Amino acid sequence: MMHSAAWRISLWATVAFACGTLLVFVFIERFVANDIQRRSDAWLSGEVDVLGDVAERTPNDALYGRVVSEVAELAAREVPNRQPSDSPSNDTVFFLQTGRDGTLKLWVGEGDGKTDLKAIQETRIPADRPTDLKVQGFRIPFRVATDTLNDGTRIYLGLSERDERRVLRKLLTQFFFMWLSLVLLGFAIVFYTTRRTLRHVREITEAASRIGHSDLTARVPTSRRHDEMGHLALTLNRMLDRIEISMHQLHTITDALAHDLRSPLTAIRGKLETSLFGVRDNERTEPIVAAIDELDRLTDFLNKSLDVAEAKANALRLTPSEIDLDELLRAMIDLYEPSMSERGLKVRLESDGALKILADAGLIHRMIANLFDNELKHLSSGCSVTVELHAVSGDAVLIFRDNGKGFDQEIQSDLLERRVKGKDSSGHGLGLAFVDAVVRAHGGFVEASNAESGGAVIAITLPTACEGLRLPSSNAVSASG
Amino acid sequence: MRLLLVEDEHDIQVFLKQALTEAGYQVDVAPDGKAAESLATADAYDILIVDLGLPDQDGISLILRLRELGVRAPVMILSARRSVDDRVRGLEQGGDDYLTKPFALAELLARLRNLLRRNSPGGEATRLRVLDLELDLLRREATRSGQPLQLTPQEFVLLEYLCRNAGRVVTRSMILDKVWGMRIQPDTNVVDVHIYRLRGKVDGNGQQPLIRTLRGVGYVIKER
Repeated sequence: MMHSAAWRISLWATVAFACGTLLVFVFIERFVANDIQRRSDAWLSGEVDVLGDVAERTPNDALYGRVVSEVAELAAREVPNRQPSDSPSNDTVFFLQTGRDGTLKLWVGEGDGKTDLKAIQETRIPADRPTDLKVQGFRIPFRVATDTLNDGTRIYLGLSERDERRVLRKLLTQFFFMWLSLVLLGFAIVFYTTRRTLRHVREITEAASRIGHSDLTARVPTSRRHDEMGHLALTLNRMLDRIEISMHQLHTITDALAHDLRSPLTAIRGKLETSLFGVRDNERTEPIVAAIDELDRLTDFLNKSLDVAEAKANALRLTPSEIDLDELLRAMIDLYEPSMSERGLKVRLESDGALKILADAGLIHRMIANLFDNELKHLSSGCSVTVELHAVSGDAVLIFRDNGKGFDQEIQSDLLERRVKGKDSSGHGLGLAFVDAVVRAHGGFVEASNAESGGAVIAITLPTACEGLRLPSSNAVSASG
Repeated sequence: MRLLLVEDEHDIQVFLKQALTEAGYQVDVAPDGKAAESLATADAYDILIVDLGLPDQDGISLILRLRELGVRAPVMILSARRSVDDRVRGLEQGGDDYLTKPFALAELLARLRNLLRRNSPGGEATRLRVLDLELDLLRREATRSGQPLQLTPQEFVLLEYLCRNAGRVVTRSMILDKVWGMRIQPDTNVVDVHIYRLRGKVDGNGQQPLIRTLRGVGYVIKER
């Protein structure tokens, strides 16, 4: 799943989306924070004016402190963004008046105000706008507005930023969860839609991979929507139509050729054979027998040529079944061993044990027989052949190794081509081309070379299950004679 | 034995009819599907030979049609196609047989005999005897004039196959098919070497030769 394109696309889309929304939320948060600050500053400036007014008008007698304190207390109750507090005392607002000499004249608020005074003395507070003030013992700074009275004293009104910050924090938490759910929702939507689209692509891929060597009739699924996917499926199907038509034409041609040659061959062979009946004279039968042998060779040549031609065009028809290569090689060696020892050749099998592949039994049998025939025909007495069978990462590797003369240097480069044969070869040059054709048709490959120590090495790699090759199903292929 | 030959090629028709008649069959010939249908339903045949490429219809359809009409006789299918149709395989599993053109007459005759034997009930023998050669099929032992023969398992299977067809010719491709289970046509004389070795064991010691080679045709184990 982690490797799927849908996952990747939605991940990147979500990252982009998350960044965008984050920017928007940060902007809103900044805006709201500024607005809150502006409001509390306006309140502070207003209140400090009112308090200054009250302080100026109140006669500077014994009652002065009480009057101003009460006004200040009253103002403290109308603090903007006020949050219900657990402590009964009011620690969010303080009022402070300093005398002309800078000493503490009046204090309304939590504690004795000395720390506050110290902080005020250490900080320059401009008269026109409120400023932040860090007070020792308080984690959160105060916002302080100041005013100078006519009598030269200064009043300070401080408002803790605690409530303001609490509001902002709450907002931030809400924003965060809103952002998170938006991002998750966005991810879900993008993932769902891309997966839906890509599922169609996957269906097309699966269908296309099913269309193998033996089955060209299958088509990829099409959707009714006229989008890119639907177009892709239609295009693929049209391409498959064309391939099927040309393949069919090729089959028609090779079938017609096979049929047109085979019928007369059958008739000739039959006539020759019937003429043998009842003739006991060896001298008279000899030419007939030789003619039959020639005819059989011609038939074999015809079959192989057509197979190689079809395989070159990737149109070899396969009827797959399960074959145990180990068992097959043992049977082949059993069949060929007497002929080989007759010619002074030794044959040995090195096999890892049972190795099953899905392949066309007839073709694989003929291919392996071909390899043994090759060794029989080309090796001189005293040589030996080693047949190796290994399972290498899902493939079957079959190696024919001999210690003979090896391949002619001149034909080394195109050993697997049709009609290429060594100077001394008596064959018609189809052997290895046929082997190559069969192996290719099964999705494998052949490597033919000379070993460094001399001798020929033919290595065949066959997939245990060729893509597109299935055990025969019930759908029948049309027959023509 | 009554045999219906459904084949349109005149040359093949002629030599097949001659060879089959010589082999003891009563042969009727139908050149196309229509004629075959009327002949097969009008008369009871023991066996049919049907070529797949008929002028008026496909041979498989004809066979299926005949089966529908109640014709039970086994069918030998002749095909000039290189690849074997799935439907032919189906028929083969149903008890019929097929042969690709060109074929050896001996092989056709042997396969016809097999088809007929398959169709007639009969117990499986446990011993085979050809003159003084005796095969014990259960113990997988062979004796000649009472003397045990030292045969490999494969040689025994080969000898058994020859003895089962005693007096009748078997071809190399039949031997490869039945003894080794391979439908191949080797360029080399692999089968001949096996026969040569077997002959050395069976017909050695100056005994009367039993295994005979019919060049260009195949082998036969014969009593005379």
